[in-house]
Amino acid sequence: MSDVSNGPSGNQESVRDRLKSPAGHGEQSGPGDSRGSDLSTSDFQQTDSRTDAAEAVGHGHGQLVEHGTTVLHPGKRVPLDDAAARAAERKVAGLFLLAVVGVVGFVVCFIAVPFDFGTDYSPAYTPLLGLFMTMALVGVGAGAVLWAKTLMVDEEMVQERHPFASEPETRGEAAAILAAGFQDTGLPRRSLLRNSLLLGAGSLAILPVPLLFGLGRFQHKEDALRTTSWKKGVRLVRSDGSPVKLGEVAVGGVETVFPDVPDGNKAADSASLLIRMRPDELVVRESRKDWSVDGHIVYSVVCTHLGCPVKLYEQQTHHLFCPCHQSTFDASREAKVLFGPAARNLPQLAISVDAQGYFIAQGDYSEPVGPSFWERKS
Amino acid sequence: MSLATKGAEGTATWVDDRLASSGFVKRSLNKVFPDHWSFMLGEIALYSFVILLLTGTYLTLFYDGSSREVIYNGSYVPLRGIPMSSAYESTLRISFDVRGGLIMRQIHHWAALLFLAAIVVHLMRVFFTGAFRKPRELNWLIGVGLLVLGILEGFAGYSLPDDLLSGTGLRIAYSIALSIPVIGSWAAFLVFGGEFPGHAIIERLYPIHILLVPGVIIGLITFHMGLIWYQKHTQFAGPGRTETNVVGSRLYPAYAAKAGGFFFLVFGVMTALGGFAQINPIWLYGPYDPSKVSAGSQPDWYVGFLDGSTRLMPNWELRTLGHTFSFNVLFPTVILPGILFTALALYPFLEAKFTKDRAYHNLLDRPRDRPVRTGIGAAAISFYILLMIAGGNDIIATIFHLSINEITYTLRTGVLLVPPLVFVFARRACLSLQRADDDLLHHGIESGTIRRLPSGEFVEETVALPEQYAVLLTSLDTPARRALAAGGGHGDSDLATVRPREVQARPRGFFRPKGVQPSGAQHGSTVPELEGAQLENTVD
Amino acid sequence: MVARSWLLASLVVLALALVGGLYTAIGAPKSEAADGTNQSIAVESGRQLYLQGCSTCHGLNNQGGAGGPSLVGVGQASVVYQVESGRMPLANAAAQAVRKKPKYDRTQIDQLAAYIQSVGGGPQVPGGTLDDGQLAMGGDLFRTNCSSCHNFAGAGGALTRAKYAPALTPASARVIYGAMLSGPESMPRFSDTQVTPEQKKDIIRYVRYITHAADPGGSSLGHYGPIPEGLVIFLVGIGGLVLVTLWIGARA
Repeated sequence: MSDVSNGPSGNQESVRDRLKSPAGHGEQSGPGDSRGSDLSTSDFQQTDSRTDAAEAVGHGHGQLVEHGTTVLHPGKRVPLDDAAARAAERKVAGLFLLAVVGVVGFVVCFIAVPFDFGTDYSPAYTPLLGLFMTMALVGVGAGAVLWAKTLMVDEEMVQERHPFASEPETRGEAAAILAAGFQDTGLPRRSLLRNSLLLGAGSLAILPVPLLFGLGRFQHKEDALRTTSWKKGVRLVRSDGSPVKLGEVAVGGVETVFPDVPDGNKAADSASLLIRMRPDELVVRESRKDWSVDGHIVYSVVCTHLGCPVKLYEQQTHHLFCPCHQSTFDASREAKVLFGPAARNLPQLAISVDAQGYFIAQGDYSEPVGPSFWERKS
Repeated sequence: MSLATKGAEGTATWVDDRLASSGFVKRSLNKVFPDHWSFMLGEIALYSFVILLLTGTYLTLFYDGSSREVIYNGSYVPLRGIPMSSAYESTLRISFDVRGGLIMRQIHHWAALLFLAAIVVHLMRVFFTGAFRKPRELNWLIGVGLLVLGILEGFAGYSLPDDLLSGTGLRIAYSIALSIPVIGSWAAFLVFGGEFPGHAIIERLYPIHILLVPGVIIGLITFHMGLIWYQKHTQFAGPGRTETNVVGSRLYPAYAAKAGGFFFLVFGVMTALGGFAQINPIWLYGPYDPSKVSAGSQPDWYVGFLDGSTRLMPNWELRTLGHTFSFNVLFPTVILPGILFTALALYPFLEAKFTKDRAYHNLLDRPRDRPVRTGIGAAAISFYILLMIAGGNDIIATIFHLSINEITYTLRTGVLLVPPLVFVFARRACLSLQRADDDLLHHGIESGTIRRLPSGEFVEETVALPEQYAVLLTSLDTPARRALAAGGGHGDSDLATVRPREVQARPRGFFRPKGVQPSGAQHGSTVPELEGAQLENTVD
Repeated sequence: MVARSWLLASLVVLALALVGGLYTAIGAPKSEAADGTNQSIAVESGRQLYLQGCSTCHGLNNQGGAGGPSLVGVGQASVVYQVESGRMPLANAAAQAVRKKPKYDRTQIDQLAAYIQSVGGGPQVPGGTLDDGQLAMGGDLFRTNCSSCHNFAGAGGALTRAKYAPALTPASARVIYGAMLSGPESMPRFSDTQVTPEQKKDIIRYVRYITHAADPGGSSLGHYGPIPEGLVIFLVGIGGLVLVTLWIGARA
């Protein structure tokens, strides 16, 4: 790039000059700590030099302009018979009338298009309503915008800002009033008054807290967190209430089971998963060998991460996969965590088979099911 | 027409007799608003909130916020005979038994998504242009408050139908509460009225969603707009624009017509989406059942970053001294958003502290002129987007047949590596753009005409920058410009030696030699050196 | 000369027709023995098809091999599922078999299935109508057993390590039945004692419904839930409205 050619001579100099800080700004130039307001009230002087007279001369409706406001780019009021303006007016009118079409269409479709699910239903019902509503709203909206852009007189105005901070005298006066009034209350001198006020008024804040505690039901909190509806001898049933018999679930099968107690299928913590594998595929510790029956094993379905149901079972890998945050458990190895944010195995329910061949629980889960909580010891 | 005018006059007189309103009317209708398209992003949020109020009120006429169990017997055949809560049943009724109910439900939900999307985009505009600086820090805080309230309001809203997808989200919320140390189980049982699911959460979310939170939001929006009205909007630097004025259109009639028209256009986009794009098809999800779940369960987009952080978190949990400290839950859902939103709220004060800048700012920055701030913002956005992508890792795996495990591992590294890289690149990009501006200032525009000098050298002629652009560029005070002014050179070495710091000296409007009248500075250019120059936008 | 050759030709045609007609009338197998004979013809045809198209991987005697497992005991249900969905024959090894255009037609599939069933037995997809179950019942069963892998609308879902539960839209009633019964690859096996045939028909009716019924609210956006909704609000909502603001703000 060459310095030589730069259009008319002198421009290069003047550009550099433009960038120089002007004299008289020594203490303010360069990086510095600019505390305090840099705008003084005088900066906001609304000079009366810019009076209505000047505007009236320039623009005809200057008398209507607010004090302290001037016109930067005047706008011209468009004459009524201007051809372009007439065309614009027709466009705007067309849009406004389109809105009418939209409303009429909306009402017609609302009433006439079939809307009886199961018998006579048109999937175009909602889209048609949307089409005509949009037509109506866009008609008005686009019409208004086009009107403003093409027909209204739009001038670029300059308006002065007001100072943000108050005058120092005013500030001082306000502070003085506050201080004097505060003195009048007697608080600064009367420590007994002050301290008892703080105590009394402050304690009011505590008043609503016991009321809010009514929102909770805490009597059986520990019980609720640590136990489920499973008990010794309770049968495993499906959501329709039918008990599960040994042999009904095929190898590689999985069944959602609930305890056979009243409202057993509604208790969120009791839902469990019965999985059947080949017995040789199961790897369990010695003390849990009798918790499963012939390759049938039951885990809690409530994810130990955040409680979503872990229902996704991969038959070949024996992975249990939670759809919420992808925690993965190995169902053949006591639901050990393989991947994901869960930190604990899924609890296992010890099961056996009753005399009729139906699955029963040997008792409740040996640990709290579901996500961790502060009071959980392990 | 005269009848209308007489009527208007009569009304105005009646009101003015009682309120002395004419002064207010005069000031308000003449108020000048700067117009730049990016200043309308906040309006999108405002208008979508109005649409939410309108459609939401309609929905309250039909919705039943009750967890009482009923057996469905409505029009939607595939759910007939299924037990469900009354809340879910009433939402089905709105969708299939009330004419126009489905489109109103869909407009309401789309408007909620737009409300938050507009807030986020508006926040980014305010951030990158530095509009949060003094005296507007309070408005920034209100804005962050509106963002947080909006997220909570949306979560409450989409949980009201009590469907399988949102119910899964409530289960997760309950478990997050449980994990809080010391008070967790108390908090969870308090909010849900006992053990999950209980029979209280829908009944409580309903008044929170239709009364409490909207009330606070309306109050905050009023305060937010009041501050803009009172302090006047910021504006970009340019011809005639100074720190002490506002250049733009008067409110009445053009600006009001455009703003009003924009409201109807936003509404029109919402009705188009509401009619043509299905959203939250609760009849397909089914009623909430704690033992059922769908693959690919996600929250609405504005909670997605939390879902992503939760999915990426390694399973670190501490069990000691008889208690469990679930860091794997607490960090991504409580600690991380706490840090992010606190940093967001405090940013104006942090930046002022680090740049030692306590001046008033009514002129906006171009992002390139603040490389570090732009870099920080870009890095934050990249972090946020990566978390949102992580929240959809199973959808990505499903559609593209990728391994969800590999996606998770990649994103775990990504969220740590990518934001710093983005910071570096964005900052360098800003510096390059500044350099390009400086070249333009120094050399003018390349004209395309090649001239041969007598010495034999070929040079390209350049044309000086038109005055209004020169004013625009010179009105911005950046370290590179100061270096240019001081040294005069423009080679790379000059700029390379300048270590850019985010220090803002006085805004240009105050570079004023002693003795120059204030009125002089309020004409045209902000730079007094140019006062003598012929500028096409001066009044005289 | 020409007339003579014409006469000869017509005599030959007549003779052929006579023989063919006699054979059809007398020589065709009787209906009582038809099933058994038809069956053995089907099994034999199936065996031929097997040897041609399957034995390379699954072994000449169904014993399995390097390329594929033994098919003893997989039953007609597996064959219906795998072959009618085009997964088998396998084109190339991947995380799991991919659905593609089936290589065999319905008759051939039934023959293959008959052969495999004859070799080792196994679960069988019943004949007749399979998608006339109860819709609501099917929905409840679907949400209990299927949606956790296949998604609430049967749009498919991710499993671990690049495996996936496929979208259910292209699956026919027979294929769905065969899948539930045979538990292919990662999918669990739902025996008839666990999910009864009536319940399977309920599920099939529901699956066919949700994958083919028109969406009442407009475009389904893929039935993937809130993620495409979020994309749409940014691209269409914010993107479109930014274009609108550019139009509004542009000076004439």
